[in-house]
Order: sequence, then structure tokens, then C-alpha cells
Amino acid sequence: MAVISPPDVAPDLEPAADRAPRRIAFRQRLGKWDVKLSPYLYISPFFLLFAIVGLFPLGYTAWVSLHEWHLIGGKGDFIGFENYSTVLHAAFFWTALRNTFSIFLLSAVPQVFLGLVLAALLDANLRAKTFWRMGVLLPYVVAPVAVGLIFSKMFADQSGLINTLIGHLGIDPIRWHADVLASHFAIATMVNFRWTGYTTLILLAAMQAVPRDLYEASVIDGASRIRQFFSITIPMLRPTIIFVVITSTIGGLQIFDEPKMFDQYGQGGADRQWMTVTMYLYELGWGSQKSFGRAAAVAWILFLIIIVIGLVNFSITRRISSAGSTAGRKSR
Amino acid sequence: MSSVAMIEQTAGKGAARAAARKRKRNAGGAGANHRPGWVTYTILGVVLLISAYPLYYSFLLGTSDAQTIAQNPVPSLVPAGHFFDNMRRVLESDIQFWKALSNSVIVASLTSLSVVIFSTLAGFSFSKLRFKGRNALLVFVIATMAVPTQLGIVPLFIVMAELNWTGKLVAVIVPAMVTAFGVFWMTQYLEEALPYELIEAARIDGCSMIRTFWHVALPAARPAAAMLALFTFVGSWTNFFWPFIVLGSSNPTLPVAVQLLQASYFKDYSLILAGVTLSTIPLILVFAVAGKHLVSGIMQGAVKG
Amino acid sequence: MRKNSKLWALAAGVTGIALLATGCASDSPADDETTAASSDEKITLTVATFNEFGYEDLIKEYTELNPNITVEQKKAATSNEARDNMTTRLAAGSGLSDVEAIEVDWLPELMQYPDKFVDLTDADIADRWLEWKTAQATTEDGTLIAYGTDIGPEGVCYRSDLFAAAGLPTDRAEVATLLGGDSATWEDYFNVGKQFTAAGTGTPWMDSAGATYQGMINQVENAYEESDGTIIAADNPEVRDIYDTVLTASTTDGLSAHLGQWSDDWTASFQNNGFATMLCPGWMLGVISGNAEGVTGWDIADVFPGGGGNWGGSFLTVPAQGKHPVEAQALANWLTAPEQQIKAFVAKGTFPSQTEALTSPDLLGVTNDFFNGAKTGEILANRAEAVTIAPFKGANYFAINDAMQKALTRVDVDKTDDANSSWDKFITEVNTLG
Repeated sequence: MAVISPPDVAPDLEPAADRAPRRIAFRQRLGKWDVKLSPYLYISPFFLLFAIVGLFPLGYTAWVSLHEWHLIGGKGDFIGFENYSTVLHAAFFWTALRNTFSIFLLSAVPQVFLGLVLAALLDANLRAKTFWRMGVLLPYVVAPVAVGLIFSKMFADQSGLINTLIGHLGIDPIRWHADVLASHFAIATMVNFRWTGYTTLILLAAMQAVPRDLYEASVIDGASRIRQFFSITIPMLRPTIIFVVITSTIGGLQIFDEPKMFDQYGQGGADRQWMTVTMYLYELGWGSQKSFGRAAAVAWILFLIIIVIGLVNFSITRRISSAGSTAGRKSR
Repeated sequence: MSSVAMIEQTAGKGAARAAARKRKRNAGGAGANHRPGWVTYTILGVVLLISAYPLYYSFLLGTSDAQTIAQNPVPSLVPAGHFFDNMRRVLESDIQFWKALSNSVIVASLTSLSVVIFSTLAGFSFSKLRFKGRNALLVFVIATMAVPTQLGIVPLFIVMAELNWTGKLVAVIVPAMVTAFGVFWMTQYLEEALPYELIEAARIDGCSMIRTFWHVALPAARPAAAMLALFTFVGSWTNFFWPFIVLGSSNPTLPVAVQLLQASYFKDYSLILAGVTLSTIPLILVFAVAGKHLVSGIMQGAVKG
Repeated sequence: MRKNSKLWALAAGVTGIALLATGCASDSPADDETTAASSDEKITLTVATFNEFGYEDLIKEYTELNPNITVEQKKAATSNEARDNMTTRLAAGSGLSDVEAIEVDWLPELMQYPDKFVDLTDADIADRWLEWKTAQATTEDGTLIAYGTDIGPEGVCYRSDLFAAAGLPTDRAEVATLLGGDSATWEDYFNVGKQFTAAGTGTPWMDSAGATYQGMINQVENAYEESDGTIIAADNPEVRDIYDTVLTASTTDGLSAHLGQWSDDWTASFQNNGFATMLCPGWMLGVISGNAEGVTGWDIADVFPGGGGNWGGSFLTVPAQGKHPVEAQALANWLTAPEQQIKAFVAKGTFPSQTEALTSPDLLGVTNDFFNGAKTGEILANRAEAVTIAPFKGANYFAINDAMQKALTRVDVDKTDDANSSWDKFITEVNTLG
């Protein structure tokens, strides 16, 4: 994790003292402070704000998770890790975890794959480039609430657009709200609808930054377009792919809006077919139990899971995309 | 002013040379200059239709009436004639549409501006400057994204109540002024797009750090910054839960107001989706204008402006 | 169910007569108190509501009566959102409105924390509401934490055209008799249902097992919990009996349309002859006439199986964290007075919970054109009087009932389980509570 940034070593950025005349010692000292302090100064807005709107809530939540804590009634006894063990022994927690991963995989994998393919198509010398590029991003402007409304209507079991259409093809209606996998697929579709264009453009932006002479050189070497894509484009996109994978892991494992709006009750189905971890967290805290303590424990467990998955993801992505990238990096 | 000229003027010839080098490597299409064939256009066309249809579906339902919607699972592809009627119902209802619209514009604009500035600043620092604890701090930033937000609502509300900000727009703007996502995004982008030569050149010419940032890093970050601004704008525009909790219906943003259309006897999809369509139109306009710049920014590469 | 008692309010057939009759402001006893409570100081009070409470005009009227007080209404779209908002602000300890509307569904979870609310006990108006309505908002030690606004007395709504097609009587008095009149039982209701389906119209008898179950369980005094809070849901033979009865009727006898109430399929089914009858509390009339716009034949019978039944209803509370508890209480008092609640009924169809309102000519005269001109005011008043049992709803009532509704949905709608396996899951879920 310590090498999120590529292993390039930042050169020493102090104004080259040898070359600069010695007469401006004061200015130099100032420059030294400038170099030493500026980096911290520039990142400080994030950390200051995070301390108030992030760290305080995080610490507060940790404190809550160690207590018997009713959302309205407030703090009860200190009970150590009992909330954690209660949650880990609850069957619903594991159902929720299964659903979360299933929906995550059904959305993240196709998204990165489709994003790469679409970005490669858009990277070509198209007519009306701007039109196509904006077109793929269009769904992103639709609010999640609207996406939920629209798709839950389309996916209605009896009166929905999709089942009606496949009915015309002679296919039996799919039980979107009863069948586990079907419900996951429907929810992943909502996610993919809204986010694929976004992923595509991020990847496209990175593709545009790939030096063109690399391609020219490979054309001379007789490499095919496909070959170019795998041996130049993908390795060169490494930081961006890492970015996309990590952010989609973090976002995907916290998925809430789409499954919540998938039916009229927002609790993940009668048999909890599509209840995700954050929905479970919400139900514990804001549902009739109002156990803020247990909800906080779920939040922390989820937090740790995401960190672990993020690390695993990171190392896998790095290994895959660094294979064969040596040539590309050297020529830069 | 073209940024290459600007770089030459403020950061010296070395920087301009680096910029020119960069421009050269961005000339030409991927691999070849020949136009792609009909297969590419067909695939893209299909993708575009699929991604536009749900939006069109929402518009179609917004032009219809509740009865027709319930009777026809597959709406006719031609809009029905009730859109202006439904629109009038939305505007005449007591949801304060115009106030919500101006609130949304204020919140989304200020948030985007601030996110872009602070994230680029932090991204510049993380990607190109050397300082102790850099990697650890960056990992920390990324880890903060993994904190589930649902639970943070209660402590965050306590903070806002202490500051006496509840019900005010500032309660929605301030927590979103700089995001971990933005910092991470700008870091990753500047890593690739901002050559060290440029910074070196600026430093050799005696630029202070902040001038280096302003004249070298910021121009190089423009395409990514445009994208970040657009994403932030959209994210802010469509955000529902926190504005609903902290602002409430008396000083609403658009999603909070539009949601109120459901507060009637029954779910009138024609009314709700007309409201949804109305609240999405400003975003599409922004997108049509800004999207073009965004795309051209991406196309022309990192430095050439 | 819980989620969507959200579709509040009913469309009363607001007749011109009713409008005229209530058009003029009447003096309410609360006025004097309000004047007494307010000083010269100008203050602003906020009232938080959800869905339709019909308070818009009343608030203007109140401001005219009390020039020193400005009243602002904050609305949430659904009961659910209002609940999220209120819970979050209660947890944070600040930010609530001076008067907060709550729904009976989330009343029990607030009843455990009476110190978060102003004690609204007031001897002058102790008899204002139906006894069971006041009982719902009174804690064990006699603290009244909320004033009742409306209730949901239930009748049976039916499609007279589909009844005619099946050879059943169509007149609402005859239908009431057909279903057993004053001594109607659930057995009668299901038997007529079998008769209806046997006629072969192809339309199911009722919308869902869950909604019907809700009507039945609301007639049991201690279904899931003893009055001391002990959970008995798993062992109470009455619960299992109702569960089996309603599922047999729904699946084996095929009376249910297998539509989850409030789902998109359910909403759409109103336009497609989805089912012939449904249990309807007063506020459901508006839901039906809205969803079934353009459909003719809906009517309402003055009858309910197994004795009277109530579904839903709301209250006004005064949170203790507010700055103007006295003025807020006076406002809540005024808003829930019979005169005001009748106006709200005429405006938005929220049926009053005040005893005096039930005999008011303004209310009894209300008719509804959509339901074939039925005298809905009178029918609902009769239905309200037929309610004799106030089911005990303790801290775990809604968690358990929620689990039960899911159990019914698994069998009736999703068909992922049979009655036995779904019951086992219900038991497991109940056991994790407490």
C-alpha cells in the first residue's frame, strides 16, 4: 500500500543552490521553508475538514460500538466487543455480506471491462467525437433516486417493461423480486447504468495521456491493435485502473441507495434476497430495534473488510497490470 | 492565453520545451489515423441508445398520465401530450421548486469550485512533492473513503447543531468542500500528466511553490479538474439524504423538493417523473455546455490549452 | 405495511355542501388558552408533518388568531422519511420542530422515552379522543406524550361491477349483509370469496395475504407480546392460527392476487381488474381512487369481518428539546380540536379521532363520488364506533409484525417458501429480538 504512487522518485525540488547566486540568502531560507512546509499546507484543507466531518464521526462511532447504545435512549453500559460478536453471530449479517459481494462483483467486473472496451473505441479517430463521449456519460446525470424509481418500475415482476418485452419473445417472466440472483442482477444493472460511462471517461482520459510514440514504435514492430491494447494501453493505464478498482470497491461495498429503492419496503426483500451490509446497518440503527451500538459495530466491521479487500485488490491489480509493462515504462 | 505561452512566460524555456514535447506525443489518434469502421459506430450507437432510453422512458412517463402508465408497461415511443400540464402541476405545488433550484445551483457550484481547488492542491503535493509521511498520509486519505457514511449522520448532525448551521446551506457545502475521492483522483492524474521537468523548470526560474502550483500544476490538471468539477457538481446536485436531514423541506435542494411530490394520496408516476425530468434538465444543460469543454480538454491532452 | 401506511389520507368526496358547512371559522375552546400562553413576544413555531395532514389553511387561521405567533410547516414526503429525520435529530439531541407529527407505527419506540417529550396531559381535554386512541399515547405511569389527529377505521371496499359479473349482489347494504353484517366473521369473508372465484370471472378475491392478515391481527389484544412486554409471538396459538387461515385462503383456495401491497405491480393492478375486494381504512379511499382513476365500480360496504378494525393513524407530539413548549402545546391542542380536525378531513380526508367529530353533521354529510356516492363520513364513523379492541403494541411489536409480513410475503407473493418453512424463519427472526 505504501507504493500507491509509482516508484518514480521525486527529484529534489529545492532551487539548485549551486547554480543560484549566494547573495540572496534570506530568500533562499524562505525558499527552504517554502519547500518544507508547502506540501503539508496544501494537503491540510483535506485533513482539517476530515477531522471535523470524518474523524470525529469515526471516533464517535467506535466509542458507540463498545456500548449498549439506543439511538434515542442514548448510551448504556460499556460492553466491550459484545456488539461485534452479536453481529458476527447473526445470520442476517452473513446474508447481507453475501449479497453485497455478489452485487459488487456483478457491477464492478462488467463495469471495468466495458469501460476499457468503450474507452478504446472512443479513443479511436471517430467522427463527432464529442457527441459520442458525452453520450456515454449521459446516464450519470440521472439522480440515484430517479434511477431507483425508473428501474424498479421497469423491473416490476408482473407489470414491468422488461418482463413484458421478454414475454413477447416467449420467455417466462423473471422473478426479479423473489429470486436472489435475478434481484442482484437487476440492482447491478442500475449501478452499471449510471456508472459505466463515468468509468469509461476516466479510463479514456488516461488513455489520452499515453504517449503516442509508443504506439508508433509498436506499429513499426508489427504489433496488432489488440496486441497494442494489451501490451501498451493496459500497462500504461495502471494507476488509473488501480484508481477505478479501488474506488469501485469502496463504493460498491457500501452500496445502499439502489437496493434500498428496489422495492416498496427498502429492507432487501421478504427473504432478504438483496439486503446489503449498509442496509443491515441502517435497519439495526434506524429500524425498530434502534441499536446504535450494533449498527456502529457493523460499520466498523464493514470498514475493516473494505480496507482488507482494497489491499488485496490493489496488489492483484498491480501484479496484473505490471506484467509486461516494463518495456512501456522504460521507453518513457 | 495558451498555457504553453503562459508556461514559457512564467516558468521559463525549460518548461515550455517540456510542454512542447508533451504536445507532440499527444498528436494523432490511437495507433493509427484512419477512421474506424461501421462496427465501432454500431457498437457505440447501441450503447448510446441503451444509456439514453431510461432517461427517455422517464420523460415519456412524465408526458403521460397515471392511468395510461399503469395500463401500458411498455410506453409508446412518442411522448404523450401532458408534459406541460404535469410541469405546471409540479411548479404550482407547494414544493418551492424555484427556491430549491437556486439552492441546488449555489450548493453544487460552490462545492465543485472548492473541491477542485483543494483537491488539486493536495494532489499536486501528494504526487510531485517530497515530504515526510507522504505515503502514509495518502493511504490514510484513501482509507477514509471506506468509512460507511450512513452512521456518520448522527455525529455530523451534532457538529452542525453545535455550529448552529442546521437548516442553512453551509451545512451541506462545508462537509463536501474537499473529498478524499478528489484528492486521490488528482494525485493519480497528476502523477502521469505533470512531468517533473515542468516543475523543475519553474523552480529553477525561482518560482515559489504556490506560483509553481498556479502556473504549472493547475494548467496541467485542467482536464482532470474539469472532470472532477463535473462529477462533483452532479454528485452534489443528486445528493438526497444529508440535505434532507440537515436542511429539511423549508430550505430544500432540488431532490429534497422533488421527493415531496410523492407526499400525496398515491404514487402518481406522471407527476413524479415530470418533476424528476424537470430537475434533471438543468444538469443536462450544464452537461451540454461543460461536457464539451471537458471532452475537448481530454482530447487535446494535458498541457495544450 | 409499516413502510407504507405512508400513503396517508383519503380523497374524501369533497362535496360543495361540506365545504360550505365548514367554511366559517368556529371558536374553539383552545383559543383562550393560546392567548393566555402567548406573551407580547413574537415567536415562530415549526410544525413537522408528512404526507397530507391538511393543515395548510389551519395554520393560516392560527396565525390570524395569534398575531404574535408565526407558524411554519415542514413537510416530509413519507412517514418513513419523517421517521428517519426525527430519529436522527432525537439521537443528536437537537434540531426537532416545536411540534412533530408521528405515526402510530413508530409511537411504541418513542413511548419508551417519555422524557424526550413534553407531558401533554390536560384535564380539560382528556375526553376529546376515542378512548383507545388516547390509550395508545399514554405511558404506563399515565404520561400523555401525544395528541391524536386521525385514525383509520376499516370497512370493505369492493368492485360492484365484478360482483355483478360473478352473480353477487352489488348494493352496498346487501354486500354488508352478504359478508355477515354486524356479526361478520373472517370465515364469511373467505367463503364469499370462494363463491366469487367459483363464478369464474378470473379475478382474484383480495389483493394480498399480508393486508388481510393485518386486518385480522389488529383484532387480537395481545398477539405478540404480553402487556408486560414478554414476547409470546412464537407460542401464541392465535397468531399461528391466523397465519394458517390467511395463507390457506390465499394459496390453497386461491383467493389472493399475490400482490405485495404498495408494490408497483399492486399499483398497476388497479387499472387491470387486479382483485375484487380489499380491506380499506378511511385513508385508503384516496389511494384507491387515485390508483384506479377512470375505473368505475368501486364501492365501500359498512361492514368489517370479526368486529371493527383500525389501521394506522397519527399524533402530534411536543419534543422536550423545543424552546417554546407551552406555546407548542397550545398549538398542538388547537390543531387536534374536533373543529380543526373536521376541516382537515374535508380538505385531505384524514378521519378524525375525536369523539365529538364522529357525530358532527359536517362529517356525517361527506360523500364520495368515486365510491358510487357512498356516505363515506357516516360509514367510517360507524366503522370507528365498531372498534372495540386496542391491540397492545409494545417495544417489539413492529419488529415482530414486520417479520410476520415478510413471512407471509415469502409464501404469498415470492413463493420462495411454503407455510411451514416460512414460519420457521419467522420464529428464528423473533428469537433474535428481545
